Amino acid sequence: MKEELLSVGIDLGTSTTQLIFSKLIVENMASSYTVPRMVIADKQIKYKSEIYFTPLLGESQNRIDFEKIRDIVEAEYKKAGIRKEQIDTGAVIITGETARKENAREVVNALGDFAGDFVVATAGPDLESVISGKGAGADEYSKEHHTTVVNIDIGGGTSNLAVFQRGDTCDTGCLDIGGRLIKADADTHRITYIAPKLQEIIQMEHLPLAVGDTATEANVAPVIAIMVSALEASVGLKPQGKYYQLLVTHRGIEFKEPIPCISFSGGVAEAVYQSRKFEDKFCYGDIGILLGEAIARSELCRRMKVIESRERIRATVVGAGSHTTEISGSTITYTKDTFPVKNLPVLKISPREEQENLGESLRKKIEWFEVEDSLQPVAVALTGAENPTFAEVQTYAGELLLGMKALMERGLPVIVIVERDMAKVLGQSMYALLGYGKDVVCLDGVRLQEGDYIDIGRPIAQGSVLPVVVKTLVFHS
Amino acid sequence: MQDTDVRALVEQMVEDMLKGKSIQASSDSKSSYAASVGQNNRVEKMPESTDGGQILPDITQIDLRKQLLVKNPKDREGYLAMKAKTPARLGIGRAGARYKTATMLRVRADHAAAQDAVFSDVSEEFIKKNQFVFVKTKCKDKDEYLTRPDLGRRFADKEKEIIKAAYKDHPKVIIVVGDGLSSSAVEANAAEMIPAISQGLKAKGISTGPILFIKYARVGAMDDIGEITGAEVICMLVGERPGLVTAESMSAYIAYNPRHGLAEAKRTVISNIHKGGTTAVEAGAHASGIIMKMLEQKASGIDLK
Amino acid sequence: MILKTKLFGHVYAFSSLKEVLAKANEEKSGDKLAGIAAETAEERVAAKIVLSEITLEDLRNHPVVPYETDEVTRIIQDDVNESIYNEIKRMTVAELREWILDEAHTGEDIKRISRGLTSEMVAAVAKLMSNMDLIYGAKKIRITAHCNTTIGEAGTLSSRLQPNHPTDDPDGIMASLLEGLTYGAGDALLGLNPVDDSAESVTRILKRFEEIKRKYEIPTQTCVLAHVTTQMEAIKMGAPTDLIFQSIAGSELGNTAFGFNAATIEEARQMALGRGTATGPNVMYFETGQGSELSSEAHHGADQVTMEARCYGFAKHFQPFLVNTVVGFIGPEYLYDGRQVNRAGLEDHFMGKLTGISMGCDACYTNHMKADQNTIEDLSVLLTAAGCNYFMGIPHGDDVMLNYQTTGFQETASLREIFGLTAIRPFHEWLLRMGYVDERGHLTGRAGDASTLF
Repeated sequence: MKEELLSVGIDLGTSTTQLIFSKLIVENMASSYTVPRMVIADKQIKYKSEIYFTPLLGESQNRIDFEKIRDIVEAEYKKAGIRKEQIDTGAVIITGETARKENAREVVNALGDFAGDFVVATAGPDLESVISGKGAGADEYSKEHHTTVVNIDIGGGTSNLAVFQRGDTCDTGCLDIGGRLIKADADTHRITYIAPKLQEIIQMEHLPLAVGDTATEANVAPVIAIMVSALEASVGLKPQGKYYQLLVTHRGIEFKEPIPCISFSGGVAEAVYQSRKFEDKFCYGDIGILLGEAIARSELCRRMKVIESRERIRATVVGAGSHTTEISGSTITYTKDTFPVKNLPVLKISPREEQENLGESLRKKIEWFEVEDSLQPVAVALTGAENPTFAEVQTYAGELLLGMKALMERGLPVIVIVERDMAKVLGQSMYALLGYGKDVVCLDGVRLQEGDYIDIGRPIAQGSVLPVVVKTLVFHS
Repeated sequence: MQDTDVRALVEQMVEDMLKGKSIQASSDSKSSYAASVGQNNRVEKMPESTDGGQILPDITQIDLRKQLLVKNPKDREGYLAMKAKTPARLGIGRAGARYKTATMLRVRADHAAAQDAVFSDVSEEFIKKNQFVFVKTKCKDKDEYLTRPDLGRRFADKEKEIIKAAYKDHPKVIIVVGDGLSSSAVEANAAEMIPAISQGLKAKGISTGPILFIKYARVGAMDDIGEITGAEVICMLVGERPGLVTAESMSAYIAYNPRHGLAEAKRTVISNIHKGGTTAVEAGAHASGIIMKMLEQKASGIDLK
Repeated sequence: MILKTKLFGHVYAFSSLKEVLAKANEEKSGDKLAGIAAETAEERVAAKIVLSEITLEDLRNHPVVPYETDEVTRIIQDDVNESIYNEIKRMTVAELREWILDEAHTGEDIKRISRGLTSEMVAAVAKLMSNMDLIYGAKKIRITAHCNTTIGEAGTLSSRLQPNHPTDDPDGIMASLLEGLTYGAGDALLGLNPVDDSAESVTRILKRFEEIKRKYEIPTQTCVLAHVTTQMEAIKMGAPTDLIFQSIAGSELGNTAFGFNAATIEEARQMALGRGTATGPNVMYFETGQGSELSSEAHHGADQVTMEARCYGFAKHFQPFLVNTVVGFIGPEYLYDGRQVNRAGLEDHFMGKLTGISMGCDACYTNHMKADQNTIEDLSVLLTAAGCNYFMGIPHGDDVMLNYQTTGFQETASLREIFGLTAIRPFHEWLLRMGYVDERGHLTGRAGDASTLF
């Protein structure tokens, strides 16, 4: 059994907007003598869009121009010869400074709906770090070489860090360091913009640098040195200097073990790897080239093993298109195909609650959730038992239904996601307990944490599995 | 059905079910090797120790995936992470070019469990407790069973009568259990898998009748049962030839219209049913789906789409 | 042709040469299952006596499966060198036995007359040999073959690294692979038995093997042991393939049950030569095992030793790099216990060498057989003494995918130390470079630590 999913990735970044289409090959990796095990066996990028400047609106550039973005997306679909109905899965990610625009949330949601039935909207620096790190191939490198890699995705406005150890995501962080935090006219080199945090640093350091000045390699060098120094500190190469905390977006990485390898992605990575020589350092109208070259000379590249990233400026969009979709376990229950369902908040029952008083814990959790958010469809997540007896499964089923009473009373769906392989029997047991009178969705093989959101797509591979996108902020330890 | 009805129903059922029951912690199955050898009352059989009640620890309780015996490995963490990816006995170190005592003894212990699984019988107690109907193939003992596969596929007339009587209502679907090459596998899994199959079938309005237990059974015995009963689908649970990783692996062979001369390729197989593979309950739920498909398509094995 | 003898005054008469061949066998449960074994110990010896006086010509003229109906017979018969055959055809089996054992005749002499033998002759002489005869005879015969490296040279003992995993998990496969390399396993082959017999999966694993081979610059060969047609499909999909594998049987009917015929094998061989990655010229890998013909009811009433010899006659036609007998895998209905397994292992190895193929042995047992690790350790020592080309190498001898036990990485390492042997030269040099063995081929302190390859 083999099936291809067409996936789209759209990245609305600080400075650029890009799109890719990729093919996810879903295959049964089990022999025909065992229960099937469908997995994503291969990912192939089929089409890469041009790189557009992210269109902004208004004097203050504080709103994203949705109309223009929609036109870009529409044009690229046409160019690639792909209709929106063909799209099986994918993700829109809004990153860097663009994520802080007034209408960011609306734009990303609207674009998700526009791009395909099951195109998921994502945002947030942590997700961005993970997605760009995977797009750069840092997770795979760490796995293949049994090592730890930090990927730094340096874009126009932010530097997103993700630490991967032997393939697992361990930590993320984000700093307000990027190539377009100082902008200058490409011809005259007159400075047109300095980001507020840099303004602050310039002031405190009494640096002679202001909007309207002519940028030179010399006069921006001290600012760049401070940015590079913060990056060095961010991966533990030196103590945090006085501007580190200022430059941290919301959190740095706190990973305590040594990180031997580093990779770079994002627009600035081109200059870090020095794939070509730039005569005019300001040819892009910003300090990206100088920042990249400074990183190449820094401790980051001298004391750590620099590995080639698979994608540079496209790492995030490739990550969004190719590395966000997962596949559920292959023995699952859904009594009716009502997919896709998007953006389900996850209510996670801890393993302890699960063993002690599952039904009651769940009931309370739902009650509490109702107060906070007014009741909406949720996914109940639990760990499950490793090798349950049939009687234990019955108890699980009963307790879960008891706990979900409030949901059922409001006509909301029963959606249970269990980590361990027991969803088919658990789903059937719940369905039986409900007298076959209410539909049940029960999936396994997906690990969820409190605070995650999950999107579930339409069944694939003859209905045997469901594609899911987990938007997590919590890392497996 | 109204939601209020659902509520009442669930509450009632749940209440009934919860009486005197609570979810067993999964901790008893945490160490994947624990029960494969340990549960056979080994500890009780041990003679009382003469030195102050001290007892050597059970080496089969050690989780091999977490044991690293290589001396001063270059990357211990990486090694353990690598070991987690496979049940193969890696990182075992060595004594000269030979094995360390601990790993040598563990292999012997696991082999002993495997041999015992083959050469011992499914207990009468187990058969009674699960209310299985007992029959036996033409083999007269284990040795004949192992060396004469042909006899393990057929029943004598006396046994045929028992089978006929058990299924006088001519159910469409029959579930049978055969000892096969591992009695331990049957005892570990069959009683958990069967209710999961029945539950799945019941959702579609199909009931299965009594469960047959076949001593000295080869897979082909289901063909003889097909001849005798005329069943449309037979699902046979049978102990697999044990490996060292587990002696408790069971398979389900399911066939549409099994009769003498059925090609092996016409059987659908779910193998690797044990606590470290596909669990018995999940395999049961899956099997029910396959049986339904067979009834719809009137086919099995390679013909089943 | 006399098919009758007296023994202790009792007359033993046999109705055919096929019956004599069967009854002359050492005791095997498979021959009993087939209903062709000697009824008593005396009858067995009587059959051996009758067989000893049979000429090679009689054996040639009475193949156990007719020439007209069986392509395996045709291949064996057509490949006989007629002038050598004419020199020896009047020899009896007893004379052939002594000719082979005679110190005046070297391995090269034996290899020459081997070209005049059919598989029935090879099987017949094995039936007249004791276990030590089989060792003594085989020891003289060195068969080398070349794929990327040369297997079978004097002073070497090789190992196929078999990194099987219950779900073909690439990381799990790599784990066993890396550790095996540090024990010096894998000079014969890095060869996986896949769970998933699809061209995609085979291609994926072969690519991974190729990467590892390149990354560490390992002089060896790789193979994924899927069905021959799957491997051909994989080659078409661009899979880097050194060797093509297939399980074979000693009759056309048996091969049909395996889903191929001689033309398929030749097509695969040509494809490997034309589009494969190996230097060659030997690009085939075959596996056999006594009893497989009976299990598919393709034995034509012949005994399992003769049918096994015919596998080797068939294999030789395709100039294989490796052939091995998976001797204890089939189960107690064919080989009852450790004693029968060891006898079969020695017979197979001798017959393979006498046929002229690069012979190895998967010295193994399943858990429903009355055998244990000691059984196969014994067999591996005996076979190393006999000059066997290679064994399997698996973590602690426990195959977690096929659920049987075979020789571990430690076994080949120990046998090399006990017998003063090393891996194939370029591989041995690689091991030296990597610091896993010393000049003598003994393991060093680094050996067995897979993390040295991270």
